[in-house]
Amino acid sequence: MVTTTTTTNTSATTYDDSAAKLFLYPAILFLIIGMSFGVFIAFNAFIFPDYFAGEYIHFGRVRPVHVGTVTLLWLLSVDIGLMLYFVPRLCGVSLWGQKIALWAGGLWWFSLILGVNSFPWGTNFGWEYAELPTWISWIPIKVFFTIAWLLMVLVFFMTIARRKFENMYVSLWYSMGTLIWTTFTVFVGSFVINWVPEGISRVNVSWFYVHNLVGLIYTPMGLATAYYFLPKLANTPIYSHRLSMIGFWSIAFIYAWIGTHHMIHGPISQWMQTLSIVFSIWLFIPVWTVVYNLFATLQSDWAKYLQSAPIRFLMMGNIFYLITCVQGPLMALRNVNEITSKTDWVIGHSHISLYGTFTFFAISGLYYAIPSIVKKPLWSNVLADWHFALNLWGSILFLFSLWVGGFLQGLMWANWANGDSFAEFHANITRLSFVDTVALMRPWWIMRGIGGIIILLGNILFVVNLFNTIILKAPDKVQEPVAEAVRI
Amino acid sequence: MNKEQNEPHEQGNGFSIHSLQFSALLTVIGVIVLFSTAVITILIAPSYIDSSWTSHSSPYQAQMYEIEDPNIYISSASSHGLDLQYVRHLKQDFTLLAFKESEEMRLLAPPELEKYITKLDGKTLKLTSRLLLIREPQDHFKEIANQRRAELQKQNTALIKAEPGKVVEKINYQFMELYDPKKNELFALDPLGAIIQNWVDENYLILDDSVKQKYHSDKGVIYAINPREYRVKQVRFGDIVRWRYDPEGMPVKSLEDLQGPGLDFHSRKELIYYGEHIYAIEGCWYCHTDQTRTLIQDVVLNGSDSFPAPPSSPNEYIYQKITFPGTRRIGPDLSRVAVKRPSRDWHKSHFWSPKTASAGSIMPSFRHFFDNDPRGTGKSAMGIPNHEFEAIFQYMMTKGTRITPPTQAWWLGNDPVQTKEIIEGKVKIR
Repeated sequence: MVTTTTTTNTSATTYDDSAAKLFLYPAILFLIIGMSFGVFIAFNAFIFPDYFAGEYIHFGRVRPVHVGTVTLLWLLSVDIGLMLYFVPRLCGVSLWGQKIALWAGGLWWFSLILGVNSFPWGTNFGWEYAELPTWISWIPIKVFFTIAWLLMVLVFFMTIARRKFENMYVSLWYSMGTLIWTTFTVFVGSFVINWVPEGISRVNVSWFYVHNLVGLIYTPMGLATAYYFLPKLANTPIYSHRLSMIGFWSIAFIYAWIGTHHMIHGPISQWMQTLSIVFSIWLFIPVWTVVYNLFATLQSDWAKYLQSAPIRFLMMGNIFYLITCVQGPLMALRNVNEITSKTDWVIGHSHISLYGTFTFFAISGLYYAIPSIVKKPLWSNVLADWHFALNLWGSILFLFSLWVGGFLQGLMWANWANGDSFAEFHANITRLSFVDTVALMRPWWIMRGIGGIIILLGNILFVVNLFNTIILKAPDKVQEPVAEAVRI
Repeated sequence: MNKEQNEPHEQGNGFSIHSLQFSALLTVIGVIVLFSTAVITILIAPSYIDSSWTSHSSPYQAQMYEIEDPNIYISSASSHGLDLQYVRHLKQDFTLLAFKESEEMRLLAPPELEKYITKLDGKTLKLTSRLLLIREPQDHFKEIANQRRAELQKQNTALIKAEPGKVVEKINYQFMELYDPKKNELFALDPLGAIIQNWVDENYLILDDSVKQKYHSDKGVIYAINPREYRVKQVRFGDIVRWRYDPEGMPVKSLEDLQGPGLDFHSRKELIYYGEHIYAIEGCWYCHTDQTRTLIQDVVLNGSDSFPAPPSSPNEYIYQKITFPGTRRIGPDLSRVAVKRPSRDWHKSHFWSPKTASAGSIMPSFRHFFDNDPRGTGKSAMGIPNHEFEAIFQYMMTKGTRITPPTQAWWLGNDPVQTKEIIEGKVKIR
């Protein structure tokens, strides 16, 4: 609808993507490494519990490696890499400080790879999603990571400040938002948490950090990616810029408030729980604007959904985003929370958001960005189709087994509250003890494990496909679409 | 490539703040304003609004963490860790001591110390922060003790013979001497293993001229009862020099000796913090929550046979560096574990092999909390718990036991929250 005016210089600008490559290529590998850890614990902790036993390999020490690898080494890194790809293109200028970005990338991988893989040796910091150690021997991991991030912030803001195109596309808004939010959030979750009073004050800071990590880092980065690549992939302009602005500002307004909804019914002040519930419900606004906007963009030509695997990834990610964000606010309601909280439903929810939604967005972005960066077509479209099919069915199996199993376990726990007196409640729990409710989860965990294997297989195809795209074929005629700013 | 960088003043490309377009500035400022409002309201304000976030729940909780834990020392190094030793660090004008007679143990004292003894029929517990000890009677007290013991023993025998139908316990009377060691600090044996705390909150009297510690004016105090000096004796197993408690041995000279490599004692405070660290690095918190929510299912899950557990409140957590409220219950909640599973032996076998100790469990085994039995003479295959086990055990034993004094403990039915009344609908929450 809205087109930018300065399109004349575009073809003159070539983009140096070496920094983007530094972030993207390793991240693609860490996708399957992180998922392999996930599959390993799905079997070694749940289906054949403690089969490989020992100090360095039990569930509690491997789980953070899985989570750290997929959240930081894969998703955050790939999102940064994609931003390095599209931010210069949306600004019409080459990346400012290419060298700084390369140094930051080196520091980034050094601190994260070392930090995440040190968990089995007992370096876990002890706060959810903030497990990175402050120190490994004399190496200040967190400080290094923070410096790398700050350098990236500098690079992005300088690039945006020097931009050629005056109007800023929504992806740039989201990118700028996340640069500010993440800086603050990382600082709070990694450092400030040690300076506030012990106890619930720290818990409160921790949940603020945890939810902002998802809501103010992965969400804006993922949406910036989706908003950039859908018009590119489908070769059609975005449906409504105004709608995308509503989405952006409501995220900016709402997300920071809702961390406390992780503590509903817990030992935290009731007014804060209520406040977080109210804001959680408001999340429907940013989500639905995004979902509708993306759907409406493709509305003119749904045939593209069938023709292109990356578009399928993006639109399926959009559907998963809708499901995530219907679940999220509902799970914050006190009565729903009573059943779903502390069950596998929560694990399902975190996977649909970080995997089903934002990983799908990132994969879709990679399918566009990698051929464009290496200036060759994708090695195999058939493989991409298989990749999507395996991912979709694997995810559905994975997610539904966790939701259904978790919900049933929640109902079993709630059953302890049937009756009028403590004697009756106590009789309930002697009939169905806690450990029995765990044992009854096994069939669901087996389904989850199988789903995980299917997804992993699909992603191995993906990595092979991209590897061959990058390595095998000689340069081809494929060029970057010329009219960069016109289309979006 | 970077043509723009070479010509920084070309219109629209140069870097200067006024080239930031209005919309970009609006984004930055708007985001910061919205974000900081949220931060002020939900991160900064609550600690000031809700006093329970920073204040302790009872004087008992404060004294346990601030007075008891730093001054109870635990070691499993004696006799290769086969028995655990608990030692209390006593300090002049700091530790409250009680000298209390029981049916079988009577106390003798020089006239100037007589007032510190709480007699068998005494209604008020007498406490002092003077550093006094008891020991086997010496010098002229030895004769008095023998005399009085013979008398009492005779009475006891007569009583048993007089009423053959009634069961009268045969008592072996013991006499101890109260004396003033004239020292500023000492180490005393804690035979109870410091698991049951001596707590008094009524009918007590502190016999000091002035109260020197602020906790001495609390409503209720923790005290040490009938302390005896801790003495150790070296023993040899082949080439290895070991030690054990022996009333005839050498006294421990200083805190450095106690914590040194030979005796290897750690204060309970150190162990609790180390246990918290282990809880973090082992990832216990991925499967166990540490909160009893305000839900019937939770108070039932964590309750005893007769009483529900009170829901967690913020001030339970104020002495933790890291708090683990948790997101997932693959294992049961641990916020009341010290009441539900107080047994050290139970935890020993559970950490060694959870699947055996609790059928159906999927918890991994934690055998690195155990060392091999160095002499290999034990009958069980289980290793000997090392200080990692001791740390995680002491950490877990803080959960649920320190909310209120033992005299008002919820598992005795004295739950101030009235959890049971609330869930049975007898009390309405306003």
